[in-house]
Amino acid sequence: MEIDVVGRAAPVRDVLAPAPQPAAPGRSRWRGWLTGYAFVAPAVALFLLMGLYTIGYGVSLSFAEWNGFTPTWEWVGLDNYLDLLYRDPGLAPGLHRAALNTAVVMVVVPLGTIVLALPLAVLLNRVTRLRGLLRSVFFLPYVTSGIAVYYAWRYLLEPEGPINFLLRSLGLGGLARPQGFLADPATALPTLIVIMIWSAVPVAMLLYLAGLQSINPNVVEAAQMDGASPARVVRHIVWPLLRPITAAIVLLGLRDSMQGFQIFLVMTDGGPAGHTDVLGLQAYHLAFFKGLSSTLGLASALGWMIFLAALALTLLNARTLRSGR
Amino acid sequence: MSAATTAAPPAARGRAPGARAGAVRLVGLAALALYAAVSLYPFLWMVSGAFKDRFEILAGGHLIPVRPTLDTLLQTWSELRFLDYFLNSLRVTGFTVLGVLAVYSLASYAFAVLDFPGRRALFWFFVGLLFVPGITVLLPVVILENRLGILGTHLGLVLPFVNGTAPLTVLMLTNAFRSVPRELHDAARVDGAGEARIFWRVYLPLSRPTMITVAVLVAVPTWNEYVLTRVSLTEESRYTLPLALESLATGNVPQYNEIMAGSLIIVVPVIVLFLALQRYFVSGLAGAVKD
Repeated sequence: MEIDVVGRAAPVRDVLAPAPQPAAPGRSRWRGWLTGYAFVAPAVALFLLMGLYTIGYGVSLSFAEWNGFTPTWEWVGLDNYLDLLYRDPGLAPGLHRAALNTAVVMVVVPLGTIVLALPLAVLLNRVTRLRGLLRSVFFLPYVTSGIAVYYAWRYLLEPEGPINFLLRSLGLGGLARPQGFLADPATALPTLIVIMIWSAVPVAMLLYLAGLQSINPNVVEAAQMDGASPARVVRHIVWPLLRPITAAIVLLGLRDSMQGFQIFLVMTDGGPAGHTDVLGLQAYHLAFFKGLSSTLGLASALGWMIFLAALALTLLNARTLRSGR
Repeated sequence: MSAATTAAPPAARGRAPGARAGAVRLVGLAALALYAAVSLYPFLWMVSGAFKDRFEILAGGHLIPVRPTLDTLLQTWSELRFLDYFLNSLRVTGFTVLGVLAVYSLASYAFAVLDFPGRRALFWFFVGLLFVPGITVLLPVVILENRLGILGTHLGLVLPFVNGTAPLTVLMLTNAFRSVPRELHDAARVDGAGEARIFWRVYLPLSRPTMITVAVLVAVPTWNEYVLTRVSLTEESRYTLPLALESLATGNVPQYNEIMAGSLIIVVPVIVLFLALQRYFVSGLAGAVKD
């Protein structure tokens, strides 16, 4: 409870506004600095081991050809990048398709998440009696997300599975997929997108709900008393609060849909015939499932192209984020 | 919204006629109930499948088992050594969460409270790592661990897992520590407390909801992690639950009742954890929004 009061007393602020420090004489200032470094030392050490080395190694590997077993790399300059982008007819078309699928996922998943999560949060905010229970139930898809629930979905989506059965018994047999939803090229990707949205809604809804609850009802009431229309209330009081939340949800959603491929790996492994292939999955296959052929450099190059795309997107998004911060 | 609404006297607005308000409420409740059913749906079938035997699971169609049996769960648990896998998962997840909380609460305290050259740059650096995709560093991590001789061990999973959570964790904890009133820190300093003591006695207790939120946000994906685990663990005795489930599913004749039992074993601890910590978790997330 105490935290709540504290939190509310401290509205939006710059996380890193310079800490007010009393002007200290030289030696104790040094000691203060050392204390600071000591506190960050474990994090930095872990990063130096797990982060810096891997990033440096990954970058150099992307300019080489290697199968993981031979003692030396063969430097090939930008070949890996160019092969992937357009030059190698065995690689480029598959990559283009994966890129297109990834782009579709990146647009539809965050959008669908917001379209579902915001109205749910608004509705949930109005309910009083069952709110706790509903919130727990709505949160189940997040808590159970991962391989276990992907297998449950696979079971549901089987040719003779419960979803086909449900559709037939509702008289919607025309929507049923005799091959199963994941084996049918027309439904495989849309089905995965629906499941990704289903998994992403809980956190988004909870963030929106928290935002809505932090709106002071007195402010809204006062605005209404002053004759503000509902549209104006939404525009000037509610939306400014929800905008940074929306930005954060979009950003995390973009990141997850660009980088996350666990669901693709578990549910379809890119199938049927590449219809659900995504960039992350391609890099994964190049890195770990090509046996003795020299694809590790290609895998690295693809990883860095994914990174550059993510970076570009972030910079595009930076303005939204900054205004929300 | 329209000009007419704006023109109406303030008192009349917001008070829809009773019947209409009731209908709106009902539609809202129905929508909430529908989505609750959608949220529960796969989970219900998971439970249902886990209580069916191998013949009934093939019959499909009905949610409630006609001949409910515990055998599927018991067999999956004991014959398939799920206890070992369960303990492995617990170990990996537990150490990852502890590592994250220890390493990044210290760092975040430094970012939020202490002052030293390079503080701002270092903070943004850690947050910026959010955009380095896991797949980009996956291969180098495997190669590095192979050289260090920790590939395939649980330590080899925990270290990259901890490192991978840095951005979000640092962001959330720095925000939380930042919202502790500065006066508490300065008063403790005047009383002669050192930074370590202030961190431990003042900041950590006051930031408990955020710490718990971070713990849950780290524990759930770690418990379910499949990608790095899949390519690094080769010895079956070290398998975590997701790998155990995978080998169950890729066996000669995959049995959906056993797969659902295995899934249920994976999912239940996380649900229990969430329900137990839900209160803190929600207020911790709310805090993250407010700041």
